[in-house]
Amino acid sequence: MNTHELERLLMQQPVSLLHRLARGRISRHFRSGKRKLVDLLLQASAENRPGLESDLQALIDQRAERPQPAPVENTRPPQARSRQDVPAPSRPHRTDDHGHHEPPVSLHEWLSGIGVPPPQPFVPDAWQVEALEKLAETDVVVSVPTGSGKTYVAIEATARAMRENRTVIYTSPLKALSNTKFTEFSRVFGPGQVGILTGDRREHSQAPLLIMTTEILRNLLYDAAGGEIDVRLDTLGLVIMDESQYLADPERGVVWEETLIFCPSQARLLLLSASIGNPQDIADWLTAIRPTPCSLIRHTKRSVPLRAGYLHPNEKLTPLFRTAGIPYGQPHLLHPEAKRLFMEYEEETGPSRSR
Amino acid sequence: MPPSIHPVDLVATLRQRNLTPAIIFLTSRRACDEAMQSFERSQVTLPKAQQEQIARVLTQVTEQFPSIAEHPLIETVQRIGVAAHHAGHLPSWKIAVEELMRTGSLDAVFATTTLAAGVDFPARTVVVTQSSIRKARDFTDLSASEIQQLAGRAGRRGKDLVGFAVITPSPYIDLTVLTKGLTGQPEAIHSQFVITYPMVLNLLKAHPREQIQSILAKSFAQFQLNQRTAVLETKLDSLRAEMEPFGPRVCSDWITQWQVFEQARKRKKPRSPFARQESPDVAARLHFLTPGRVVGVTRGRGIILRQYRSKGQHAPMVTLLREGGSLNECPASIVTQVFDRTFDCEETSSYPWCTPQTLEELTHHLTELPPRLPILPILAHQHEETPIDSSIIHTLGDFACPTCPSRQACQRDFPRASRVRQEIQRHIKSIQALQTSLWHRFQERIDVLEKFGYLNANAQLTADGEWARLIRIDHSLLITELIRAEAFGAIDPPLLAAIMASIAHDDDRPGSFPRGSTGLVTLLFQVRKLAESLTPHEAPPMLRADVAALTERWVSDQTLTWIGLARLTTMAEGDMFRLFARTIEFLSQLKTLKATHPSLAESADHAIAAMRRGVLEELP
Repeated sequence: MNTHELERLLMQQPVSLLHRLARGRISRHFRSGKRKLVDLLLQASAENRPGLESDLQALIDQRAERPQPAPVENTRPPQARSRQDVPAPSRPHRTDDHGHHEPPVSLHEWLSGIGVPPPQPFVPDAWQVEALEKLAETDVVVSVPTGSGKTYVAIEATARAMRENRTVIYTSPLKALSNTKFTEFSRVFGPGQVGILTGDRREHSQAPLLIMTTEILRNLLYDAAGGEIDVRLDTLGLVIMDESQYLADPERGVVWEETLIFCPSQARLLLLSASIGNPQDIADWLTAIRPTPCSLIRHTKRSVPLRAGYLHPNEKLTPLFRTAGIPYGQPHLLHPEAKRLFMEYEEETGPSRSR
Repeated sequence: MPPSIHPVDLVATLRQRNLTPAIIFLTSRRACDEAMQSFERSQVTLPKAQQEQIARVLTQVTEQFPSIAEHPLIETVQRIGVAAHHAGHLPSWKIAVEELMRTGSLDAVFATTTLAAGVDFPARTVVVTQSSIRKARDFTDLSASEIQQLAGRAGRRGKDLVGFAVITPSPYIDLTVLTKGLTGQPEAIHSQFVITYPMVLNLLKAHPREQIQSILAKSFAQFQLNQRTAVLETKLDSLRAEMEPFGPRVCSDWITQWQVFEQARKRKKPRSPFARQESPDVAARLHFLTPGRVVGVTRGRGIILRQYRSKGQHAPMVTLLREGGSLNECPASIVTQVFDRTFDCEETSSYPWCTPQTLEELTHHLTELPPRLPILPILAHQHEETPIDSSIIHTLGDFACPTCPSRQACQRDFPRASRVRQEIQRHIKSIQALQTSLWHRFQERIDVLEKFGYLNANAQLTADGEWARLIRIDHSLLITELIRAEAFGAIDPPLLAAIMASIAHDDDRPGSFPRGSTGLVTLLFQVRKLAESLTPHEAPPMLRADVAALTERWVSDQTLTWIGLARLTTMAEGDMFRLFARTIEFLSQLKTLKATHPSLAESADHAIAAMRRGVLEELP
């Protein structure tokens, strides 16, 4: 909708609607006439035109839903009438909407589909297959949303390396995570095949798969560089670094960098990371400093779709956004009901909100 | 309306909408614990089947970690199917909760946002109650990555068709932060590379100093610095293009030339038109050339009638009544002698500048004057121009600018050209700084290590450096300095563990703790003094006496049980566990010094053995 169209549409609306629209946008809007009000609205929302448009649409829709005692003038014409004999004021933009002028999703719709998917044979996702294929040739950086199945890639890559009699090192940032993975991998590969090395624990340190905190691996690499060569580093075939977004941790990030810089060149690297903004940078960096190139596997789609909701303190639940899913890149597409409830909440708890 | 939904109602709503199991992220550990307490009063009980399932899972976990059996929350968890999971809990309890979630036996878990990364279990629903997080005593808005990390726990692969992220307001919420975080892109990450003392020692052990720069160049930090360099370089290129029309003119470096010329011109004082014309002698005499004064000129004598400046050149002039009665307008320089004799002179404003009567009298006096008159000694004030001025006058003579054919063009372009040139130089400097900053920081560390004697002047490891490089933990400089000061000479294992604990502990949560022994207090005082003296080179640790005392108790009193220890303090079990685990980590670093410090290594070994009991032994 361009400014001209928007202005025309605003002029067609009753003043009361414009005043409602002006709430929170313009101070002392009650003093201005219709013409002035429209101008002020356009001015005030110069920065956030889509916000104004969606609010306007929401108000028009609300009006349309309410039974009108007066002769219908500004509401949508009933479906029965043909387009020719009624100059429908709100018609033009409804035909060329871009998705956010659809009526907001209902709670029922939003809640639908809860349930357990029927058991299916496990089929790896395309990105998982691609990551494993790439790993045969290059180092790999994986940046995918939480819960996408990074562990599958780690396990499969480990199994392949172990078949070739190569040692695998798996690092995680937290001792707790190392322990969880130790239990998990022991289940998969058998207890004798998995070892763990953390600051205060050492078990099966000669196993083909070693789980350790990143600090331990860094120390091993320093020892190797300092001459106390650990023989096992020669057979090292794969280094998996879980949660590698820790690279940006203010205190411990440096350990990840040291480890990656000194990682033996014959070992493949598999970096598993949650979604980050610049995974390509990491892949480029690794390509620049290591003899093997580094490929990036990145996707942003979650394997289980996400919906966002808003739960009011009075236990009323509504969808958070107008769409059922998350409207990526459009944070302003709030569900009118959620917006109304939250404004109500803010008004009531207003002064105490300052922390 | 309540400021936020009651936890019991929250869980009830989620259950009713079939949105369980859920992870509910709360602001603090305390909020989690209070939420759990609020359930104790509620009447909710789970159906028998689910209670039994929880019991079954718990029994399984208890086999591995017997300490869970005594956990006070077991009963509540079993009755209501809700648990809390935060850093204040023992790892074994967290493992139990995670296991319960994984098997789907729980309906909800209260967790802290701080631990979002450590929460490694999914749920159908994630409830977010805040938009900011406490980081280093201050609240910061959650970043998009963090919000997505939270929301990422929603929706279990293979168990859910959809996942839900539910926002419920609390007094600490800003909805826009959350909606932007949910719909936005995660932030780019930035290198946090720092150069630590162990890094310097270990690098110099394996590589000569000349290679270090190329190793540092391999860091992600340098990679990102290079990206910034690339941006600067494109900017530099465009600036250079902008500079093109300002290439060499009559002189090759006309900008500098013009700049100096301008400076010289500005610094030169505007010369007084009077001062320019007259010699110091004349200037000194001028004050005495008042009407009525008898002066000597080249030929004969005369009386001054008036003193004035010539119109055009402002030269000092006098009107002189000469012997023979003639009136002459002549330059003041004509006066050669000023005599000590004046006559009254009644001035007028027009020719002959005095009343006819005076003129007559003066003419008469002039003839009557004795042949020899006393001469006024007049000291010429040698007004020297300041050397800088003369130097400028001198240099100005060197400038071709005033007569140069491109003078106009230079004058016109100079402001822009000099600005662009400045920008170019600034960019070149920043690029250089970006390229060498890591190396400079490394060099600084080398200097410190050399000062303390871990490195020699050639940046090679000394005997001390050889063992110090094995200490690769935080506060390594303090620890190695303590060892060199022989603070740990023949130290008891409990004391050693206590000191290490106070160095390792970096949390400032207050609480009540047992008291330490006198030996510990004295030693800790010395450690503090040393840490303070190292402040310029390494940030000092907190060195809390209370956590040290707690550790000392645990190590020295072998009959003390974990529960008994927990009763001595208000510190959360999880924090205690982390403190001890980290202390063991620090001690095991000391153990690596077996070759050079056998007694210390032995003491550390004993301390570790003494610490590993009860909960610490059973746990991973």
